[in-house]
Amino acid sequence: MPTQRSQKPVIQSMPFKTVTLRATPAVLILLSLTLMVLHKADTLPVERIRAAAMDIAAPVLSAVSAPFTALVDNMDSVTSLRDLKAQNIRLEEENEKLQKWYEAALKMQAENQSFRELLNVKADPALTFVTARVISDAGGSFVESVLLPVGARDKVQKGNAVMSGYGLVGRVMEVGQSASRVLLVTDLNSHIPVILQNTRIKAILAGQNQELMKLERLPPDSGMTVGTRVATSGDGGQLPADLPVGTIVSVGPDGVWVKPLSDIDRLTYVQVVNAEIDQSLVTGDVAPMASKNK
Amino acid sequence: MTAEWHETFLRMVGRWGLVLAVMLALVLLSVIPFRIVHLGEIRPVFMLMAVYYWSILRPAPPLAVFAIGLVLDLLSDYPLGMNALVLVAVQALTGSQRKFLLGQSFLVIWAGFALVAFGAGILQWGLFSLFNMTLVSAKSMLISAALSAFLFPLSVLPLAAVYKALADDLTTMP
Repeated sequence: MPTQRSQKPVIQSMPFKTVTLRATPAVLILLSLTLMVLHKADTLPVERIRAAAMDIAAPVLSAVSAPFTALVDNMDSVTSLRDLKAQNIRLEEENEKLQKWYEAALKMQAENQSFRELLNVKADPALTFVTARVISDAGGSFVESVLLPVGARDKVQKGNAVMSGYGLVGRVMEVGQSASRVLLVTDLNSHIPVILQNTRIKAILAGQNQELMKLERLPPDSGMTVGTRVATSGDGGQLPADLPVGTIVSVGPDGVWVKPLSDIDRLTYVQVVNAEIDQSLVTGDVAPMASKNK
Repeated sequence: MTAEWHETFLRMVGRWGLVLAVMLALVLLSVIPFRIVHLGEIRPVFMLMAVYYWSILRPAPPLAVFAIGLVLDLLSDYPLGMNALVLVAVQALTGSQRKFLLGQSFLVIWAGFALVAFGAGILQWGLFSLFNMTLVSAKSMLISAALSAFLFPLSVLPLAAVYKALADDLTTMP
């Protein structure tokens, strides 16, 4: 009741300025909706605007995010101090196992080399990298992407693969002069042609905006097993072949789920694979900017 | 007369400078890669807290809120206009209840924010699903809204401090 009584005189005496301020939210909401529709319809050069915004913001973000990166790295070491002993034992065991693998790998490499020579295979060109620190992540609940302080200046191209120490984490989606945005493999809009490493079955690895990714376009009855490694197939010419992406962690009626090899949630430093991309092969979402970036 | 004008101008600059600095800090907090351990990507929506709290104490022009939303949209990878829409809507809604909320205890204001956080999350989720023509997972949005609601009292302290710093100007405001 008291609120009703106090409201009445307020409305009567509302100054003109307040009325206009009240009216604008509706206009601004309409404007936002229009922007979203234009964005969706691709009529706005959103990518160019974003690239410009990225270039402006990159130096600030780069400076401000540095201590946070250090914090994340240090936090890792603090938590590991607690169970240092257990970790040491585990690492020693792992080391022993890896030594054996190392020997095996050397043997296979030699074998591979001789086979290549026998068959006269045209090898893929060696990959070159640019390493960069992650300076921003989208920070929302619905988008999985990060910002890097490298751009066209560092020969980063749209469509470039981005790796962490363990495997593929995403690919470059927008390129500014000194900054670029990486769409992570877990994003809803990420679809990557992959190959299963034991059966050589090809599929599409689709991000779901969650920790796990889903294998799509699988041939029927393709007998998946948990633990199978998934790598890029190189189909479509955008990503280099055989970059490891993840392992299958669950096979069920709701699909085949893949866990990324890298800790996507805690990226600090990543490498952009500077492979020369045949821009005529870049299709879909990635296309319009590619030619302009040249 | 001129001295007075000068003083007012300087005060305006100081006031907007302070508000701008806080807003910039909040934008940075929203996009800089820090992780709350074991929560991964999920973080509270700091900007929402500021817009809600300041909408009660003293509403900023909707255009400023809209602009900040656009900056967030540009820096993150959201559809252009989405954050802007949500923030302007939150400000308008909170502003319409301002007279009621002003006289309430902090608990009521807190509860109001919880409602706003979930409401804004659901609105964003709906818009995002519509934009992508598919139902996206709402899980991280819900956790983020809960986290925001939970952390609201803590975030209010710096916001209230800034408000107090501006308070001597407020006697002239409606």
